[in-house]
Amino acid sequence: MVNKLLSLNEATRTVNSGSNKVTLLDNINLQVNEGEFISLMGPSGSGKSTLLNCIGMLDSFTGGGYTFLGEPVHSMKEKNRSKLYKEYIGFVFQAYHLIDELTVWENIETPLLYKSVKSSERKGLVADMLDRFNIVGKKDLFPMQLSGGQQQLVGIARALIGKPKLILADEPTGNLNSKQSTEIMELFSDLNKEGVTIIQATHSEKNASYGSRIVNLLDGKIVEE
Amino acid sequence: MILNYIKIAFRTLLKNKGYSFLNIFGLAIGITCASLIFLWVEDELSFNTNFDKQDQVYYVPTNQNYEGEWRTFYSTPGPLAQDMLDEIPGIVRATRSSLEERLFAVGDNSITRRGRYADADFLDIFSLKFIEGNRENAFRNPEAIVLTQETAEQLFGKGEKALGKVVRVSNKDNYLVTGVIEDLPNNVSFPFSWVAPFERYSDGAQWMTEYGSNFSDTFVQLAPEANFNTVDNKVRQIVQQKDEGSDTYAFLHSIKDWHLRSKFEGGEIVGGRITYVRLFTIIAFVILLIACINFMNLSTARSEKRANEVGVRKAMGSGRGRLITQFISEALILSFIATILSIVLLAMILPQFNLIIDKNLTLGLSNPLHILSLVGVAVVCGLLAGLYPAFYLSSFKPVEVLKGLKVTEGSATLIRKGLVIGQFTISIVFIIVTILVYQQIQHAKNRELGYDKDQLLSMRINRDFIPKFNVVQQELIRTGSVDNATLCNSELLNGGNNGSGFKWKGGTDTEDVLISFRNVTQSFFETTGMEIIEGRGFSNNVEADSISVLISESLAKMMGDESPIGNIISREEDAMEVVGVVKDYVYGDMFDASDPVLFMHYPAYARYMFIKTKAGVPINEALSDIEAVMKTHNPAFPFEYTFVDDAFDAKFKNEQLIGELSQIFAILAILISCLGLFGLATYTAEQRRKEIGIRKVLGASVSGIVKLLSKDFLKLVGISIVVAIPLAWYFMQDWLQDYAYRIEINWWVFAIAGIAAILIALLTVSFQAIKAAITNPAESLKTQ
Repeated sequence: MVNKLLSLNEATRTVNSGSNKVTLLDNINLQVNEGEFISLMGPSGSGKSTLLNCIGMLDSFTGGGYTFLGEPVHSMKEKNRSKLYKEYIGFVFQAYHLIDELTVWENIETPLLYKSVKSSERKGLVADMLDRFNIVGKKDLFPMQLSGGQQQLVGIARALIGKPKLILADEPTGNLNSKQSTEIMELFSDLNKEGVTIIQATHSEKNASYGSRIVNLLDGKIVEE
Repeated sequence: MILNYIKIAFRTLLKNKGYSFLNIFGLAIGITCASLIFLWVEDELSFNTNFDKQDQVYYVPTNQNYEGEWRTFYSTPGPLAQDMLDEIPGIVRATRSSLEERLFAVGDNSITRRGRYADADFLDIFSLKFIEGNRENAFRNPEAIVLTQETAEQLFGKGEKALGKVVRVSNKDNYLVTGVIEDLPNNVSFPFSWVAPFERYSDGAQWMTEYGSNFSDTFVQLAPEANFNTVDNKVRQIVQQKDEGSDTYAFLHSIKDWHLRSKFEGGEIVGGRITYVRLFTIIAFVILLIACINFMNLSTARSEKRANEVGVRKAMGSGRGRLITQFISEALILSFIATILSIVLLAMILPQFNLIIDKNLTLGLSNPLHILSLVGVAVVCGLLAGLYPAFYLSSFKPVEVLKGLKVTEGSATLIRKGLVIGQFTISIVFIIVTILVYQQIQHAKNRELGYDKDQLLSMRINRDFIPKFNVVQQELIRTGSVDNATLCNSELLNGGNNGSGFKWKGGTDTEDVLISFRNVTQSFFETTGMEIIEGRGFSNNVEADSISVLISESLAKMMGDESPIGNIISREEDAMEVVGVVKDYVYGDMFDASDPVLFMHYPAYARYMFIKTKAGVPINEALSDIEAVMKTHNPAFPFEYTFVDDAFDAKFKNEQLIGELSQIFAILAILISCLGLFGLATYTAEQRRKEIGIRKVLGASVSGIVKLLSKDFLKLVGISIVVAIPLAWYFMQDWLQDYAYRIEINWWVFAIAGIAAILIALLTVSFQAIKAAITNPAESLKTQ
């Protein structure tokens, strides 16, 4: 049986730029089931990142409905929303966004701290993750001492550490060369096979092809699925 | 979690060394400065609080009416103590007392020490702790004397028993040591090295038994259950009950108030040192605030650097509360490091500071109160400095900062500007205060004194010496090092030795004018350099001049427009003929007009000898000549002297202290503010790298860019000047009100302070501005 992870119903996002009202996302209808690997495609400014941020609850829709695991996100208080995404969503960024002052180990550990996981348990989880990504030897290094591909590996490890149901990746390979890109995409593909739902925003047809479904955006609208 | 915060805090500190240095160093200076003030305040507040019965012990001053004005004196009629004890319920102990300096000798060993003649109750009132002998029996013997441990050790040697031994006093009397007491702590406003029975001092003198004259100090102890107001009311009436028609009344003044609240005006307490204690306490907090402001400003200014971290953490699931906790922990860690650094600074600075304030303060780190205060200061500074940045930084929206959008600063910029204005306002106020206090001191020091204080020595003498004076004077002059010498009953610069009830012909009826008596020799005016402006000085013949007096100019004016020469001044049955007028001279309060003076040719009452050394003779040579003469004629006494100009400088101790402290605070406030400004300038230059690059590509000159970057800061300093001037003017106008002889506040003082602030700010900012302006634009544009 296929479980519904999230659904967007006429979801809209507008901003005020001076006296003009600009519509970034226009009446988006989207259903995502658990286990899907969706690639959002479209030119710059088409609203891919905004859609990802809104799904990830870092940003919010200004109109329409958003249901996540059966819960109405659009009518939720900030606190509950934060609880929800802490529990179920992991982010991977184009610019990795690791904390420069923290080592690899500590960067991966951070989400667990915010989930108040016990110290002994944290150690086990982080060690497993390092093991799985083959970066045990790098655990005491700072982000600046790693290559871009390695940094993104750490970024993904950090996104996965909280065992999220959904990974949101915004141009995860945008700053990487093609070899590194392939590695990262293979990794996503493996993760998806293990049951993690993934939504990625990308420009690259090649990367998009790793996904099970492609959603094309243009000027804030879904133009083609 | 906390461990994680600490780890990050340290890494952030290490990563941004310059920024950390500015913050920690600025805060450490602030904390050091505040701690010094707090130590001083603690010491001031502790005065006279080491006596067991401190809450029950009162000094009894008197208010005396002169020319319709109440003036307060710490002298009382002799019989007052006994009468209060006998007649006022609630008073359980009372003592007369008189502060005297005496020469003590044991064998060849002689020292001079100040101490008190007092009644036996004195020992109980101040709960003196006996090391040898005991309180009950100490004053049984009329020839008794009780010494402090230090005095006893000086006289009899360390570890030697003093009890039962005889000490020779003033080279004529023998006193029997009946007790040795613990030394008094430093924070006593009436230190004494010995106590002896009062009778030995008054010796049955008539003036000690009358209400007409005020000679002795009086201390009383109230019963624990006594009501202060009831007792005080009775005390206020007793003098007039005993001496009908007297225009004097006594009142109670707690010994705890003695040190801090003993400035009287019109017979009422109007403050005293407590004003400065309060003022400096405020200054301490202000300086801490300035230091905290740096932290706030630098934290928000470099917010862009941390915005990304805030975004990532929020995306990782951190709530705002956790970020606030994180940033405040960082501020706290920083302020604790600063506190530790400031303890090191304090240990280094304290000896120097003690010299300036003439105290013996210690860090007292074993005192839990001090540790607690330091921790308190660290926590308060951490919170104060960290709170605003924490709320500000944690408010960033992850979507915006992660996208790399510029953080819209809005309120932060405005607050930052306000804080810089605040810092500089305070600094400028300090500069103005420093200049004005210095001016006021110089103003009083340079005023027409009416005598020549230079090369003038003052020496205490005893009565036996007076008959030898003429010989000594001649011998001194014969050495060639001395111009002249004279005797007087009072120190040249001090008040006291005064009375009222004089009558004269003409002028206003001013029987209640308070007049100082100076019993001098013929050579007095020449030695001190006072100017006789009318009539003549004294002749060589004491008898012929026995009813001749010279009066000061102000007294002559009271006698009317006619020449006072030949006028008769009388008091009860004594009558004196005015033979000369002396130009007014300044004594007592150096900032006020001095009371009128009556000079009498009556050296028998002399207690001081003044010696004027010859100009051009090296002072060491003159001193050894004088010592030789004194050793011949006054062998029993150690050769001790003071310079009148030193004593003169000492009169300005309080003002000097204020001046020096405000100078220190001014420098520190400016230093801390500049550290902050430097930090801000650094970040502004960094932020505007791209703009500067573009401008340079478009042809802007280096000077134009320096101007562009400095302009904004100078505008802030300009506003500070506008705010600071009226503030400083108001404070100083108020402060100067306390001085009758005072400066006018000049506009150029404000101009100097303003220009100084602008120059200092310009110097601070321009370094960064120039650095930014000469950067190759290709470099700064590439990184974007």
